[in-house]
Amino acid sequence: MPVAQKIRCRVERIIDHGGRVYSVDLTPERRVPLFQPGQFLHLALDAYDPSGFWPESRVFSIASAPSQRERLRITYSVQRRFTARMEQELAEGKSVWIKLPYGEFIIEATSDVVMFAGGTGISAFTAFLDGLTPAFPHVVYLAYGARDGDLLIYRDLVQRRAAMVSQLKPFYFVEQDLDQESTARGVMVGRLSVAAMWQCIENPMAATYYISGPPPMLRAISRDLSEHGIHASAIRTDAWE
Amino acid sequence: MNSTRDQILQLVRKYYEERHAIKTFDPSHDLVHYAGRVFDNEELVNLVDASLDFFLTANRYADQFESDFAEYFGVSDALLVNSGSSANLVALTALTSPTLGGRRLKPGDEVITVAAGFPSTVAPIVQNQLVPVFVDVNLGDYTAIPERLAQAMGPKTRAIMMAHTLGVPFNLDAVMELVRKHDLWLIEDNCDALGSRYRGQLTGTFGHLATVSFYPAHHITMGEGGCVITNDETLARVARSIRDWGRDCYCAGGESNTCGKRFGQQFGTLPFGYDHKYVYSHIGYNLKVTDMQAAVGCAQFAKLERFIAQRKTNFQKLTALMAPYQDRVTLPHATEHSDPSWFGFVIGVRDSAGFTRNDLVRYLEAQRIESRNLFAGNLLRHPAFENIPHRVVGDLTNTDMITNNTFFIGLYPGIGDAQLDSIQRVFAKFMQGERA
Repeated sequence: MPVAQKIRCRVERIIDHGGRVYSVDLTPERRVPLFQPGQFLHLALDAYDPSGFWPESRVFSIASAPSQRERLRITYSVQRRFTARMEQELAEGKSVWIKLPYGEFIIEATSDVVMFAGGTGISAFTAFLDGLTPAFPHVVYLAYGARDGDLLIYRDLVQRRAAMVSQLKPFYFVEQDLDQESTARGVMVGRLSVAAMWQCIENPMAATYYISGPPPMLRAISRDLSEHGIHASAIRTDAWE
Repeated sequence: MNSTRDQILQLVRKYYEERHAIKTFDPSHDLVHYAGRVFDNEELVNLVDASLDFFLTANRYADQFESDFAEYFGVSDALLVNSGSSANLVALTALTSPTLGGRRLKPGDEVITVAAGFPSTVAPIVQNQLVPVFVDVNLGDYTAIPERLAQAMGPKTRAIMMAHTLGVPFNLDAVMELVRKHDLWLIEDNCDALGSRYRGQLTGTFGHLATVSFYPAHHITMGEGGCVITNDETLARVARSIRDWGRDCYCAGGESNTCGKRFGQQFGTLPFGYDHKYVYSHIGYNLKVTDMQAAVGCAQFAKLERFIAQRKTNFQKLTALMAPYQDRVTLPHATEHSDPSWFGFVIGVRDSAGFTRNDLVRYLEAQRIESRNLFAGNLLRHPAFENIPHRVVGDLTNTDMITNNTFFIGLYPGIGDAQLDSIQRVFAKFMQGERA
């Protein structure tokens, strides 16, 4: 992985998606190092003195494309203490520190790709999707689920890309059909599951599976894939604590 | 001046002026060194600045150096280590990692190299139970004879590890052709060649891994220090592990949970969630630098281009002033397509010269002109290497000639016109028959 760098950023914009889910745009004080789609950054809220220790931080997928090294986006949902602090303390104009890039959750162009994205877990895939072109040599299936339709926050990006790249096959899932119109909009009602996707995948035994989302979802999807006969080496998870 | 720290650093600048600022050269008293530290107040300021942090282990200066150095080479990773020799050890050992699967080097595999050079290019090959295959070198550029490299290929040949001798790039056209044809690993020992180019491209960026030394005799210094560079992120991770005790975790010292899953992974038969910081995936070492070393390196790195230019200028001047003696000595030259960032000025004494290398060197030393042999000469003649498992392709005639006839003098940036005048005068006297 490239040499990680610690860089001060200004919070440029905060988007409140509702349901305590937010996207944050960061402007680094200098161009960030090269990173790959699927990699992540550490974000610290407390001031960092470069002559001392790195403060408490949490990891977030870099949701923006690697071509945009002057502006980064992360997306998070409030889960525990640190993200609750983010919700309370982040404001436009505030300084935060990040260090990046990290991670090996890199999608390989060696087989058909099946991506399971739960909630803000989609942010591990958005940089890849943003850069996806018709030249990609395999089919890319995306199973994207959220609590309700409003929280499919990257659906527009996916739809735009699918319109340009015929190999991209998106499938949407919501747990709650709040507006009773999900089915009409091509959204399946129910939890993301292997069973729901299995018939949609042309050659499921030859694909590589990438899973990003909350830990219970990672465990459930991984277990179900194993039960469907998928070898462990073909199952990649973006597992954080 | 607004803080105690600022006052300290200001005093350091003053101290530099009092203690270290450049003095005039007195040929009747001062040595013309073969190499040495060239620095100004910035190195001292950085060093004290890092010491005031008292972080001690690698921190902000190491981060800065690794980042800037990787960018200079245009590669993904630069890993600071505590010496160029350690860099060689880390680089070669990385290629034995199980992470590399079937491509890993295994005991008994062969690595092509040369015997004329510094021992720590070859030592890691032996230390990893691999077999060095020695080829002879050209005289004049002192790099491997390309035809011999091809002849050295055998069924167990898996890698090439060689130095760009004293700054002169080896024939990378020939080497890269072999690497591609036989799917070999290539480690460029770039310890003496920082800033050298081949067909316009920096040496150190051709191979899978490359190494750099920051010992005081080198292009830039940290005192002790070295670096492994690579553009392969898998190799970088392995090399980092080998440098850092063999651990699987890649967090820097003083950091935790950089991967975000410190207690959430399964490794071998360890209990699930065993602290990733203490999971070991390699048999490793601790070869890290301190932030004080890196701090000096940062100030030195800012001077690199000037240092390289000065070395090239000195090479041209030395070539001109030695030209009248070419009937008795051989002078160094670059390999085709290369633009060396010269380390030293290599002189070979011809058999017909009427004097020996030792006659000349003894005289130079008596006249305060330092010199050094081309390091070990023929390594296989040294007690430690006499009985190592190895293979020699053809003969090592030129390597033996180097052992007997060759030495180098300095051209580092600490040598200016006054020192060059001294060198010219001393050589002239010797060539006119004066002896020690």
